[in-house]
Amino acid sequence: MLKVNKLSAVFLILVAGTTPALAQSETQINGVVQSRCIIQTDSSGTFGNPNAYTLTTSPQDGGEGAVIRVDVSLADAYYVNITAPSSFSSSPSLPDTVTWVGDTTVKTVSDATGMGTYESTKVELGMADRYDLTATGSTWFETVSTAVMGGSKAFPGGNYTALVIAECIAQ
Amino acid sequence: MKIFIIVVSLLLANATSAHEMVPTYPKLEPSFMEGLHKTTMTMFNKRADVDYYEIGVFDANWIPIPFVTNYTVFKIPYLSTVSFDVFIRDQDINNAEYICSRSKLKKSDRTRTSVSSRICSRFKNGSGE
Repeated sequence: MLKVNKLSAVFLILVAGTTPALAQSETQINGVVQSRCIIQTDSSGTFGNPNAYTLTTSPQDGGEGAVIRVDVSLADAYYVNITAPSSFSSSPSLPDTVTWVGDTTVKTVSDATGMGTYESTKVELGMADRYDLTATGSTWFETVSTAVMGGSKAFPGGNYTALVIAECIAQ
Repeated sequence: MKIFIIVVSLLLANATSAHEMVPTYPKLEPSFMEGLHKTTMTMFNKRADVDYYEIGVFDANWIPIPFVTNYTVFKIPYLSTVSFDVFIRDQDINNAEYICSRSKLKKSDRTRTSVSSRICSRFKNGSGE
């Protein structure tokens, strides 16, 4: 009986001795969740050249629209402005003026219920489309663009780049 | 369905490039220099095609407001984060509304469209405080 009590005492001393060590090993993981907007480029887009005087992102003509994904983690905190190109940011010297047509549409949403009205409630101002991000999650926007050279003149050979501007602005 | 969307989103996220800036609603606080307020912003660059971002401060009508940072154009290597202080004169803090970062794109040798991204945080109520 005495032996059992001694063993118990030793065990309690050991446990008591290790408890502070266990307490010291606890580590807090701190984190802050804050609202944010992330603009991602899924596809930067490509111009097809169906005829000498047209450059277009239309898939039927060998092009590809720019696809931009916007993630927000807080509803009603941001709006998005997406502006289709109205000029080339780099190109060879052009023989005439270029007429631009462009549009942005909602391609996919991660929350059909909360984001289902994005396309119908957007505000269009020229080449710019404004969407109020009233729900959290991801929205994919697609911008298509067509450039037609005046007088049906041919685009000179070379590389052409046009900018799609995606802006995420806090409300 | 939701799980499917999340999985697809995560897979797509690996193939995409992103631009991010926080906080959404920065606060201006007095700096160590008299006459200047400051705030700290953090940017994350996940755009492999972009190395530089330009900072701007604007009023409610998008008119630029003078400010000071270490650099107006920051080099932010791919997959790295940069925090920086923005200093604004005391006389301008009531007008400062937006602080924005905009991607600076390289000249391309392809016929294509490029995406220029801009994220703007807002000084709540336009007061900056």
